[in-house]
Amino acid sequence: MADTNTLRVRLVTPDRIVFDQTADAIEVPSMAGYIEVLYGHAPLLAELAPGEVRLHGASESPNGDCFNVARGFVEVLPERVTILAESALKPGEINVAEAQKELDRGHKLWSEAGDEAEKYEHANEIIREAESRLQSAKDS
Amino acid sequence: MANVLDLRRRIRSVKNTRQITKAMKMVSAAKLRRAQERAIASRPYSAMLASVIESLKRRVDIYDPRTGELRHPLLKTRPEKRVLVVVISGDKGFAGAFNANIVKATAHFLDHNEDKEIDVEAIGRKGRDLFRRRYPAAKFLEPSENEPKARPERQRAARIEVTGDHPNLLEKLSFERVREVGEEIVARYEHAEIDAVYIVYNEFKSVIQQRVVVERVLPIIAFGKHDIAEAQEMSAEARAHAAQAAMTAGVSVVPGEAEADVKEFEDEAKKFGTLGVDYIYEQTPREIFEDVLPRYITSQLYHAMLESVAAEHAARMTAMDAATNNASEMIDRLTLTMNRVRQAAITKEIIEIVSGAAAI
Repeated sequence: MADTNTLRVRLVTPDRIVFDQTADAIEVPSMAGYIEVLYGHAPLLAELAPGEVRLHGASESPNGDCFNVARGFVEVLPERVTILAESALKPGEINVAEAQKELDRGHKLWSEAGDEAEKYEHANEIIREAESRLQSAKDS
Repeated sequence: MANVLDLRRRIRSVKNTRQITKAMKMVSAAKLRRAQERAIASRPYSAMLASVIESLKRRVDIYDPRTGELRHPLLKTRPEKRVLVVVISGDKGFAGAFNANIVKATAHFLDHNEDKEIDVEAIGRKGRDLFRRRYPAAKFLEPSENEPKARPERQRAARIEVTGDHPNLLEKLSFERVREVGEEIVARYEHAEIDAVYIVYNEFKSVIQQRVVVERVLPIIAFGKHDIAEAQEMSAEARAHAAQAAMTAGVSVVPGEAEADVKEFEDEAKKFGTLGVDYIYEQTPREIFEDVLPRYITSQLYHAMLESVAAEHAARMTAMDAATNNASEMIDRLTLTMNRVRQAAITKEIIEIVSGAAAI
């Protein structure tokens, strides 16, 4: 395994190890935008933004796998990518009604936040997460 | 002496009870197996999280170089005046001394901290019901219209009060809900409403390795380590009972193959983020650090709850196994008495007939 140029990718949530396999490339949503990691990437540590993790040329699901993730981190090493996320859902597993409700709750919090930065931030986080979930559900 | 009919009825009733306890034992064993798997599955995440923090810690100045003060509020140690105790008990009874042990440990803790104001946050119905009866609930002022406050204002009436209510949190344990609890706790700590947070729960290593612990989660002293304030080990007798119950229910006493997998993960987790690699940080290490700390607390809470759920099922399984054994014993004894009574009646009749015949 050491001399092949494949990337080992892992997605870990508090509940389980979602996947642990090799892939050609992986797309990860970070706070500054999507990054795509191939074998030999420089070591990187970044915070995850709500969005989709996409696998390309994965060993166990060759036609590309996709997970909606939120709240977590990604660690990139030249031959290994580890994603720690508090939630990871397949687009098919997303509960659209629930996400819509979250979105409404976020908007409500946002309009009630008054002039406190902390509350705005909290509301924005909820909105971003819900929007990314809805988007993933729609795309699939 | 009771007559044969009464005894027969009694035996039938005990047999029914035995059937019920046996079924409950098997159900608990099945639930235990699932809970155990979940607890093990959650380990890689918490181990990795701890090692990320560990590596970040070395790159971030935790202390402000100028003032020498701790930078992050979650790391700050204040004199413990107000303490939050999170008590994780079970939702249901019939689990032997499980709930009683938790309550006892909590009461012990409360007794030994008489000089502090204590909030009790009970998770699990049994503990909640009990503490609600003992201590008054916390009261908060309604936020007034003209001066809205970020945090609801507290009106403390008693030294020990019960805060928060989390019905059915344990029944369907989801990270999502634990996160809400965790965020609330972190917010209270950051706003200096509380100075320390302890959790009381039943630690679960395996069926025969459990203990009730009082663990401090905030302020954070060391990462990846449990800061145990008090611990109460299982007695040898309880351990033998549990092993017996596990054996008859087909639950492995030593966590099995899944453990080996996790081991590999944990070993790797130790390396995760700790290699002497120069990472590119997309955010500054400090930002990541500040973001990861509350998550660490939540992950600890979640882990404690998973273990507690597993321990509860194990306790119930053991208790039900003991009940089944007792019922079997009782049936044996009653059957013996019944046979004796029947024989006595027969003997008496024969004597009557014989002596009647002799009298003629």
